[in-house]
Amino acid sequence: MAANASTNPSQLLPLELVDKCIGSRIHIVMKSDKEIVGTLLGFDDFVKLADMVLEDVTEFEITPEGRRITKLDQILLNGNNITMLVPGGEGPEV
Amino acid sequence: RKFRLGSPQGANGLRRRETSLLVADKEKKKKESILDLSKYIDKTIRVKFQGGREASGVLKGFDPLLNLVLDGTIEYMRDPDDQYKLTEDTRQLGLVVCRGTSVVLICPQDGMEAIPNPFIQQQDG
Repeated sequence: MAANASTNPSQLLPLELVDKCIGSRIHIVMKSDKEIVGTLLGFDDFVKLADMVLEDVTEFEITPEGRRITKLDQILLNGNNITMLVPGGEGPEV
Repeated sequence: RKFRLGSPQGANGLRRRETSLLVADKEKKKKESILDLSKYIDKTIRVKFQGGREASGVLKGFDPLLNLVLDGTIEYMRDPDDQYKLTEDTRQLGLVVCRGTSVVLICPQDGMEAIPNPFIQQQDG
């Protein structure tokens, strides 16, 4: 990496943190009022996009009521609308 | 003679060379961010996202694409009636990764404060 990339070994890289989360629960917050909780199976190499594959997924719609849909059997989540990722998160309190 | 000093041909040739130098320069500088986030490491920052979400937390890490790692993150919830008004409502999120593609603003937490609306016209009588 070039010297001006300003990464020092003592800091935590975001994608490293997501990588460590593979195999455990993750709570994903979208740009809209939607949140996804599931087990992270992996994410793709497109650093800009980061689509995610999740399993045993619960989808939460924040504004109307609480829990919306419970899905199983793996989903591919489009990285376009992902705002925050919370490793080990259990989702919103309902 | 094919080549004349000061001719449009000569001038274009020079511009072409300058342009290719500029492109090469830009490619070298592509990874350089205009904001040096390393000075905010271990400090509390406020982040605003596309879609109106706001959060603050201690910056633990980042990459050139502006993905962030925040610790002790608090999300500020918006008023369901007025999407632009922040309520007192917050929720704790802990250690989070913020997607750089979604980030629109970063500032130090103690670098901003809420002020009364300066644009409201004072109406007399």
